[in-house]
Amino acid sequence: MSKQYKTVGEEAWKKIDKANAELFIFTYGSLVVQLVKDYEDYGAVNKQLDKMGYNIGVRLADDILARTGLERCADFHATAEVISKVGFKVFLNITPTISSWSPDSKEFSLILDDNPLNDFCELPPKAIQDGLWYSNIFCGVIRGALEMMQMQVEAHFIRDILRGDDTSEIRVKLVRLLDEEVPAGDD
Amino acid sequence: MVVVYNIYIFDRHCECIFYSEWNRINSPLAAAAAATEGIHGNKELRGNQVLTTDNLDSPRSSFDQQAPLVWPTTATSTAHRIAPESPRNVAMEEEAKLVYGVVFSTRNIINKLSSKDSPQGGNPGGFMSLATNTYRLHYYETPTGVKFVLNTDIATTSMQPVLEMIYRNIYVEYVVKNPLFRIDPLKTTPIENDFFRAVLNNYIREISSPLSAV
Repeated sequence: MSKQYKTVGEEAWKKIDKANAELFIFTYGSLVVQLVKDYEDYGAVNKQLDKMGYNIGVRLADDILARTGLERCADFHATAEVISKVGFKVFLNITPTISSWSPDSKEFSLILDDNPLNDFCELPPKAIQDGLWYSNIFCGVIRGALEMMQMQVEAHFIRDILRGDDTSEIRVKLVRLLDEEVPAGDD
Repeated sequence: MVVVYNIYIFDRHCECIFYSEWNRINSPLAAAAAATEGIHGNKELRGNQVLTTDNLDSPRSSFDQQAPLVWPTTATSTAHRIAPESPRNVAMEEEAKLVYGVVFSTRNIINKLSSKDSPQGGNPGGFMSLATNTYRLHYYETPTGVKFVLNTDIATTSMQPVLEMIYRNIYVEYVVKNPLFRIDPLKTTPIENDFFRAVLNNYIREISSPLSAV
């Protein structure tokens, strides 16, 4: 099953249009800097990055489905595989490792060893102190994309290389499956 | 020899976000368009002359016109087929709701009978088309809850690849990737994108053949 997702991800990566990585990294960096200047509160910046990621994620869901023709995942394990081997692979060419499954299979961790967004970045000590998660946009993307697939999840960073930890880790937790909407009945 | 009659696109909130037709007799859109044309004085109606059955019964083929009738439109869109200040087309709304009800219930029954139903919806039962003695309705649903309904002549057996193409290369490209198209977890946004309409119209024109002159 995971072999199949890996091939799907790589096939889709080959066909997608590519852009200059540095341009993207610098654009993201200046975006975060501007947010910091505008909000002056790192908590608010985190929230804003999450919201932006959400808007990206709801569109990415349809995009991934269109590119790969994947169907609904059978369980949350498969979902994690698809996020890592297809989602991250197609858009960033990285494959985060999945680990630390909770016993009820509702939570897992994505370990990002080589997050491209971190490449030219160094956080000032104040940012680290006040809790800025630089790549928080990923959490929003995961949340948005999974919500379009009828899953309500919470995603947040636990560790981040930029803050001095040894790797970056996102914890994804399935809150509940969303039911499909039913058309309003005639009154 | 494929004749496409019309297409409905429903979003995950059970609302019709797009409707377009190409060869349809007695269309509620045509009636509304003709009525508003009369009100705005573009067409002359003498006294109590009602729109003759002539106008409405002949199949309106829009292949020779640039823009087919589409719905819903609002004042902000640039579609010119329906007058900008047109009131809500209730007949069209009701029809869209009925169509949605039909495909929704049919899909649910099929899911239940193949014991693959789930509260998350989707199309595990594989509902593809249903046919009457005048037309065939084709259905395609994406895992994100977007539903495409296409009505064609009976002889056309499968439009699944066509619907998939429309989803992947037209809907995703022009609607989902458009940052001005709001995707809201609570509200429905109708598609008001001229590029989408044009590309879809061209695609349907390419794959279908016009109604024969019989």
